[in-house]
Amino acid sequence: MSNTSLDFREGMIKRRLERINKIILITSGKGGVGKSIVAATMAALMAKAGMSVGLLDADIYGPSSAFIFKVRSLPKEDRHGLLPPVSNGVKVMSLDLFTAGKALPVSGKGARQIIKELLALTEWGNLDFLIVDMPPGTGDVLMTLIKILGEKSGSIVVTLPTALSTSVVRRVLDLLLTSKIPVFGVLENMSYIDSSKTRASQSRGKALASEFKVKFLGELPIDYKAAEAADTGDIQSLLKTEFAKALLTSLEKMKLFTVKEKLTETTGF
Amino acid sequence: MLLHELALVEGIISYVLDIANKRGGHIVSFKVTIGEFAQFDKSLIKDLLVELVKGTELERANIIIEIERAVARCLYCNSKWGVNELLEPLPNDQKEMIHFLPELLNSFSKCPNCGKSDLEIEKGRSVRVAEVRLNV
Repeated sequence: MSNTSLDFREGMIKRRLERINKIILITSGKGGVGKSIVAATMAALMAKAGMSVGLLDADIYGPSSAFIFKVRSLPKEDRHGLLPPVSNGVKVMSLDLFTAGKALPVSGKGARQIIKELLALTEWGNLDFLIVDMPPGTGDVLMTLIKILGEKSGSIVVTLPTALSTSVVRRVLDLLLTSKIPVFGVLENMSYIDSSKTRASQSRGKALASEFKVKFLGELPIDYKAAEAADTGDIQSLLKTEFAKALLTSLEKMKLFTVKEKLTETTGF
Repeated sequence: MLLHELALVEGIISYVLDIANKRGGHIVSFKVTIGEFAQFDKSLIKDLLVELVKGTELERANIIIEIERAVARCLYCNSKWGVNELLEPLPNDQKEMIHFLPELLNSFSKCPNCGKSDLEIEKGRSVRVAEVRLNV
């Protein structure tokens, strides 16, 4: 008998995923809600707590993880595949490492191929967590990862407190839940200004979480120090910000791990 | 030795073995095509396949390796191009990036007709298992 178009990469991906305990997709409805800084800070917090963490930048149209972690080198090769560069204890894989800052305009078919290829080739080794910084919306990358990762993954849905943001993020929540991808919860970013606690907008994340019967993971501040630390690739300063502190509290609500006590010693929380 | 080829070849062999196990047959032959955009060395892929099937059920299978001609279509002007137009003019460091991820063609190359970077690979992307023949 004869078969055509067999994609052997799916087997490679499956074997690599067997060595990863949990995969967390950081998703949103619209761009600009702070997914990348949430993903980067979460990965750094986990690494600081002694966990083995990878960060896959799946936002192929606007990759930023390599920038935040200040990694520029091309992944090295070994007999198992491509080795992601390590920064601040986090293994970082991003298209930015290959494109040298150039744009990557690809169609949906191309986007699916790239995500599959990165997952097939990247040698993460054993990981406690793989954090995936997703592109916004319900496009090809999300659909590809839903198919490949299935119930191995769970998602954190990031929204702004605005009605505009929550109206769009509904579609992502709906897609994830109907695809049987567990949703750890809704995380509201830019809810208030860090020092004064002045609210940027009326909070809508909690009501959204309640509507979809998922956890509300909390509110994160607009934190200029966090933005500055991300701009300069200063992960250790990022971990000391109010933003990181609030995110850690949110992560504890997921009950995937307990790190706060350990981090109190290292970050001064 | 180029190392990520080794990971890919191991992936190919595991995949073909999985097919044999799932369908309960004996693999007579399998065909691997190497897309021109990925720029793999055919003899290297062949040597790796021959070496790594040793001691497996595939040791006696006929391994066919073919180069698949690359074709990318410009989604803007609908013209079609191959490696001579899209890959050869590029510097080696950019070719190497495309070797890892062929879709990066759009980051470094432009349609020779309209100048847009809106290329979609139609054929000859990378290495793939094109055919498996089983004797059930």
